[in-house]
Amino acid sequence: MISKEVEKILPLVQKPGRYTGGELNSIVKDKNKVALRYAFCFPDSYEIGMSHLGIKILYSAANKREDVWCERVFAPWTDMENEMRKRDIPLYALESGDCLRDFDLIGFTLQYELSYTNILNMLDLAGIPVRAADRKELTPIVVGGGPCACNPEPIADFFDLFMLGDGEEVSDELFDLLVECKKEKVSKEEFLNRAAQIKGVYVPSLYEIEYNDDNTVKAIIPRNNAPEKVTKRIISDLDSVHYPEKFIVPFVEVVHDRVVHEIFRGCIRGCRFCQAGFLYRPIREKSADTVNSQCKKLCESTGYDEISLSSLSTSDYSHLEELMEKLLTWTEDYKVNIALPSLRVDNFSEKLMEYLKKVRRSGLTFAPEAGTQRLRDAINKNVTEEELMNTAWQAFSGGWTAVKLYFMLGLPTETYDDVAGIADLAQKVVNEFYRNPDKPKGKGVQVSISVSSFVPKPFTPFQWEAQDTMDELISKQNHLLSSVKTRKISVSYHKVNISFLEGVFARGDRRLSDVIEYAWRHGCKFDSWDDNFLFDVWLEAFEKCGVDPLFYSSRKREYSEILPWDHLDYGIRKDFLISESKKAYKNETTPHCKIKCAGCGTNMLNGGKCDAMRKSMV
Amino acid sequence: MRCVRVWFKKMGMSRYVSHLDLMRAMTRALRRANVPLWYTEGYNPHPYITFALPLSLGMESLCESMDMRIVGEGTNDDIYNMLKDTMPPGIEIIRVSEPVCDPKKISYGEFDIFFDCDGKADETKALITEMLTADELIVQKLGKKGRHKVLKDINLIEHIREYSVSSFCDRVKLSVVLPAGSSTNINPALLADEIQKKAEISSYTLIRKKLMTENMEPFE
Repeated sequence: MISKEVEKILPLVQKPGRYTGGELNSIVKDKNKVALRYAFCFPDSYEIGMSHLGIKILYSAANKREDVWCERVFAPWTDMENEMRKRDIPLYALESGDCLRDFDLIGFTLQYELSYTNILNMLDLAGIPVRAADRKELTPIVVGGGPCACNPEPIADFFDLFMLGDGEEVSDELFDLLVECKKEKVSKEEFLNRAAQIKGVYVPSLYEIEYNDDNTVKAIIPRNNAPEKVTKRIISDLDSVHYPEKFIVPFVEVVHDRVVHEIFRGCIRGCRFCQAGFLYRPIREKSADTVNSQCKKLCESTGYDEISLSSLSTSDYSHLEELMEKLLTWTEDYKVNIALPSLRVDNFSEKLMEYLKKVRRSGLTFAPEAGTQRLRDAINKNVTEEELMNTAWQAFSGGWTAVKLYFMLGLPTETYDDVAGIADLAQKVVNEFYRNPDKPKGKGVQVSISVSSFVPKPFTPFQWEAQDTMDELISKQNHLLSSVKTRKISVSYHKVNISFLEGVFARGDRRLSDVIEYAWRHGCKFDSWDDNFLFDVWLEAFEKCGVDPLFYSSRKREYSEILPWDHLDYGIRKDFLISESKKAYKNETTPHCKIKCAGCGTNMLNGGKCDAMRKSMV
Repeated sequence: MRCVRVWFKKMGMSRYVSHLDLMRAMTRALRRANVPLWYTEGYNPHPYITFALPLSLGMESLCESMDMRIVGEGTNDDIYNMLKDTMPPGIEIIRVSEPVCDPKKISYGEFDIFFDCDGKADETKALITEMLTADELIVQKLGKKGRHKVLKDINLIEHIREYSVSSFCDRVKLSVVLPAGSSTNINPALLADEIQKKAEISSYTLIRKKLMTENMEPFE
């Protein structure tokens, strides 16, 4: 329950329903009867955080234990923060209303680099020192996990430890250890030494980083028996791992307000720019029966009228048609709509299109990523123009009139012809509409192009690449705009300075901690929100801390350079990444994992098993 | 297909659920309860649910109602039993009935305002009585002038039908009947804010107790 003090400020802020807790299916326990209190923090607003699937899974998994009470914490919006600071109200967890300081374990999910300042702000709002070295007691322990944990070096000074890979099992082991250490009343140092022995746990304070004169990393030296390489954790069997039967149902409308069900982890495609496609390997699929029955339970316990199937590439799911058949036996009667995000244009079957027609129609979005075949080959986006046109044709025959196309600017090897190719491709989609005799009558076509800026990420074949500078990106955006000749095509693009900052942190090292703290102390927070993004303050922060941001973003690395994340192991062989990188420069593609195993090495994390391989051998 | 009126309380933290959010929350609750809802027969079928009179954000209520269309043989008691345990926290079903009045007939609402007095309950009570016995109590209300929004001065005294003031345990309770509904609507928060400002009170809570028709008959 929230305090009387908080109640007094609720009438003063926007959307107070974000700060009350007490939503359907939220879990309240007796704090005196648990051994460990865990605050799961999402460093962004309630509407974003409550849309996130990972928090639902881990919240439910932690609370399954009788001795643990896991609660949720989100970043209060700026109006709420101002009222809280004015009245000295500390940041609290939504279930109990208790201050974050009262918790044993504080976990942040690291979804995107631009949420880093919010982490500092949330700790500070709770009166907790932001730097790990200033937190001397055993509790609270501040931990992080999620995709950005693959290179957590820029925020290493603020965290006690990170968990790499799938969180379900490793958090459980961490709870056990912390409960034990609390009982034994050991020091924080001793706890961290022991935690470093858990597979998948990275304790940054146990690694010393030495630098060369040119600022590159010279050596990463573990101490106190910490492992030389920390290997990420994976869940081997998705059918038996815990999945929530209930989701918390927020009152306030959140971004993804529906049942979400993950159908598999990993991706068979190996698009060379895509970090998720490599980080979540190997492929592990859920059976259609499991997904179907879990979806039904979730619809019953939440009352939601929409299910979204979640994965990196829905149409690559081996059992998609079987699953759709099973779902449609009950969803039509229940008036439940099924959303299939992340479909690919090259395996969009007619049968699938038939299924899609039965569910409520939404927009159709495809991601060719690059405008020319040459560049699509270089980034290994194995999609041909013909496939895109076939799919567009089918879609127009099926009654769609609006198509959204996603692209990236600034990809390695990109030329201005590739940029103009984006406009050409969109134009061809428009032409396809008018050529189609079965197109919806009396309607025009609308093709929306959305272009983001490419950011090189760790554990991808492009991790050595230089990111385009802001000037280059702007000039490419302008070239694209001038290449579009019709109003049937609309173009939207991202702010380049946000991508630039993302690029710095994605491949940064520990020297960036000072920059992040400086920027936060001078007002930066909610950086991924355009209205709150204070780019000038960031530039000032780099200057004051004597750090050149271009060193991290726009510098091409040698394959031999020691990278700041080289002591973290995501199962992907470095020589595989190097060979993929070299193939990109020869415009050579690599067939997807079901055609031929590319030998990335991640199956070794799962005892040699990978669902992509298993299927191809049958 | 028939129409039923579901009466419910909206108390505690659920008072911070906005009207739009409440509609979605109720639709989901009806789905969880497996109420045999009637769906519109258009391109995008949806249940037909309307609320008598939207409640302002932050206000509690003992007298909320929503009308919905159902199919099948179920009695009002059946619907009540289906609904009573599936509501989100803070929302409590009171009863299910046949609609009697058209919601358009709602003309008045009875409200209780509780002021936290920080140790000056008697002073506050006297001040409120003084304010309400004066000829005028002018406050500004955001109104419409054509398509534009403008601040309008209104005299609350002209609109107050009945009131009573009492104090207990460092709190002052003001019960008041004000116009509510589609023709004239005076938000009691206008009155509460004005008193809060004049009496320098830290906070208050508001609760809607009853809705009435033009002849002061209860809205059924």
